[in-house]
Amino acid sequence: MSVANVVEQLLNALALAGLLFLVSAGLSLVFGILRVVNFAHGVFYMLGAYFGVTSVAVTGWFWPSLLLVPPVVGVVGAMLEASTLRFIYRRPPIYQLLLTFGLALILEESVRVVYGPTALGVEPPALLQGAVEIAGTFYPRYRLFLVVLGLAVGAVVWLLLTKTRTGLVIRAVAQNSEMADCLGADVTRVRTLVFGAACALAGLGGVAAAPMTTAYLGMGISVIVDAFVVVVIGGLGSIPGSMAGSLIVGAAQTWGAFYLPETAMVIMYAVMGAILIFRPWGLFGEEE
Amino acid sequence: MTALLETRELGRAFGALQAVTDVTLAVEPGELRAIIGPNGAGKTTLFHLISGLLPPSAGRVVFRGEDVTALGAPARCRRGLSRTFQITSIFPELSVLENVRIAVQLKAGGNFRLLGGRAQLDASERRARESLAFLGLEGRADELASTLPHGDQRLLEIAMAVAQEPELLLLDEPTQGLSPEDTTATVGVIRQIAKARHLTILLVEHDMDVVFDLADRITVLHFGRVIAEGAPSDIRANAEVQQAYLGTVA
Amino acid sequence: MRGRWLGALALVALAVAPWALARHQLSLLTDLLIFGLFALSLDLIMGYTGMVSFGHAAYFGLGAYGSALVLIHFEQPIPVALLAGALLAGVIAVPVGWFSTRAREIYFAMLTLAFAQLLYTVAYKWRDLTGGSDGIAGVPKTTLYWGGPSVAGPHAFYAVVAVSVVLSLIVCRALVASPFGRALQAIRENERRFISLGRDPRVFKLTVFVIAATFAGLAGALFAPFRGFASPEVMFWVLSGQGLMMVITGGIGTLVGPIIGAMVFILIQEILSSYTEHWMIFTGAIFVLMVIFLPGGLVGTARRLATRA
Ligand SMILES: Nc1ncnc2c1ncn2[C@@H]1O[C@H](COP(=O)(O)OP(=O)(O)O)[C@@H](O)[C@H]1O
Ligand SMILES: [Mg+2]
Repeated sequence: MSVANVVEQLLNALALAGLLFLVSAGLSLVFGILRVVNFAHGVFYMLGAYFGVTSVAVTGWFWPSLLLVPPVVGVVGAMLEASTLRFIYRRPPIYQLLLTFGLALILEESVRVVYGPTALGVEPPALLQGAVEIAGTFYPRYRLFLVVLGLAVGAVVWLLLTKTRTGLVIRAVAQNSEMADCLGADVTRVRTLVFGAACALAGLGGVAAAPMTTAYLGMGISVIVDAFVVVVIGGLGSIPGSMAGSLIVGAAQTWGAFYLPETAMVIMYAVMGAILIFRPWGLFGEEE
Repeated sequence: MTALLETRELGRAFGALQAVTDVTLAVEPGELRAIIGPNGAGKTTLFHLISGLLPPSAGRVVFRGEDVTALGAPARCRRGLSRTFQITSIFPELSVLENVRIAVQLKAGGNFRLLGGRAQLDASERRARESLAFLGLEGRADELASTLPHGDQRLLEIAMAVAQEPELLLLDEPTQGLSPEDTTATVGVIRQIAKARHLTILLVEHDMDVVFDLADRITVLHFGRVIAEGAPSDIRANAEVQQAYLGTVA
Repeated sequence: MRGRWLGALALVALAVAPWALARHQLSLLTDLLIFGLFALSLDLIMGYTGMVSFGHAAYFGLGAYGSALVLIHFEQPIPVALLAGALLAGVIAVPVGWFSTRAREIYFAMLTLAFAQLLYTVAYKWRDLTGGSDGIAGVPKTTLYWGGPSVAGPHAFYAVVAVSVVLSLIVCRALVASPFGRALQAIRENERRFISLGRDPRVFKLTVFVIAATFAGLAGALFAPFRGFASPEVMFWVLSGQGLMMVITGGIGTLVGPIIGAMVFILIQEILSSYTEHWMIFTGAIFVLMVIFLPGGLVGTARRLATRA
């Protein structure tokens, strides 16, 4: 394997990790605050991609879509939380998972109704078309952009959580769910906000992914499965865990696809299996 | 006489928080030892370390002369160490009888029959009923545990532990949330258990009247450390203990 | 007592169904029973042990592939195919269960889903064995035993399915009433208490996981010859989710409930799909409403009302 090859694989892994992080960070955040694993989280990623298609088709521009779509997806998510999930927080955790599963079915089928069954492509913006030469190999600009985006969002989320007051409250609640009660009347609002914000993150991932992967039915489930693996590896509720998990899964999938094209997934599962044996609660998770 | 239970320099940290530090105890057979200390002193954590629900970050636990530090909670229970929890821990949607029967069968060991198994069920049920009768709960055997009043749920949890016929019984604040009448009744029950069954008991308790009434010896924890240990009369007179209580409990 | 009468009534209804029902109705009933068995098997882990699997379809699918391969390549009698399908599912469930039961609750749900998607991918990609996305078509309904009568007719195959499902229900009922089954319920109620009473729950969880997978495999093994095919669709997450819906609709932790839930669920689907091809939106919505308003399901709610009355 040449240097060029290594660099290319590394960048591919980073680009994939960036997308995975956008999805798994939200999944983890929602779990941290709401103690809910949102099965529909992947569907919000898919919504982001499809809304991106529409928005690019209508406006003709990619960049505004990148800014516009995430808040829209976030509002959809917040509305769903406020109209369904909100009523069953007191039940055993599995009911919330089941409820979000129902939501996933509804959303997935609604997308099929609106957009039809065929995959829809999005042109990357002119600035990001074509390839650049890196270490003697030509690398698609758009993937580089994904690497940068993933890193940037990772940094922003990190700063928000560690340097702002809101972030402090969120982390405190995530670490100790009983603290949620100390927030008093605000709990309901915090939950809706966090849920919406997480959906918006997933939506951002979706818009960003669309030019590379197209928007297609089933992208939600496939990303949520990967995101589950990410949080199992990294530990639910931990943002650094999501980051580490995304990198590991991104690398496992990229190198898996390179060496064992037919069985790429197996590598990812092998890594997950090994981590489960030694740290059943994930790399950064809290031991029960 | 050799101690039934020993802890040696036992410690446990949660991240940066040192919940239990350097706790060395020796509990003699037949003794009723109370552990007291203000809220957050580390009493419950110490119980988890002794019963094996939490691994220690330092130190050893020795039970009946055997080092059990590396064993999990199930193995320690089968060696004769049963416990109750500060927050009532029962099987809420099973019958009162089934709660105790399961406790008996889990202790008995052996395979659980997948089909049939009438004999297994009958044998454990007999012992369970005895234990329920001992605690005056036989009349409620067929009710769902979740429908019992709080006081009876706490008694049920003690019944589950007693039915296992342990050598050492750990009781974590058995009178918590009880009315004065129920507290008196529970104190009576504990005294009866200690007498009739020659059990060694380790008791965490908030109510000082209960402690001074029941305990043979008292160990005082403060910020995870043992700050005093002795007979009830010594502890009552100990200045440091009074300060610990005055300093934290309003 | 009332339950016993209802059970007897249901058995009689199943017995006379071949004479009372039209051919397509009997075929629908066969379908309902197969998915009823699938939901029943899920209830063993979900309702009785409190482990919610999001990947139960994988075992249904393994059963379907196992039985389809045996029937196509070796033309064995149906019971052999059923056994092969059930065993294949049970055997694969051992390593998956070994890993998944290391985790609890939500982690367990995520792991079972992830492993199911892995198995789905294998079925999809291993073209030589499974026919890839086309699956295996033309699975024959063979005979009852070597040289015995054919079960290809709708009545005969209905009988095979009905007997399998009723026997499975009887075995599962005995299982949940046994010392083992009661231990499972204690684990569901309070795992920590269970641990501190002297046993490691993992052995119990792994065992019931494998048993449930075996029964799901049996359902799949009936499905393949009944419909004549096995394809990756039958391992897909949507089916896993539908299994959860059947259990919740019928009544978690009741065994018969999930069978009834499967029937109701498939009938609703059947009716909706004659009006719209997007029935999934409506079943999804019904499910969401059930979760919010009727967490006990049909049977659970009915029992509660009956005891209150
Ligand atoms: N699982 C845990 N994670 C983090 N901190 C804990 C945990 N359990 C207990 N603690 C902390 O350890 C200290 C001792 O707690 P505990 O043993 O419950 O005290 P006590 O039973 O004496 O009231 C407290 O400060 C408590 O907040
Ligand atoms: Mg305590």
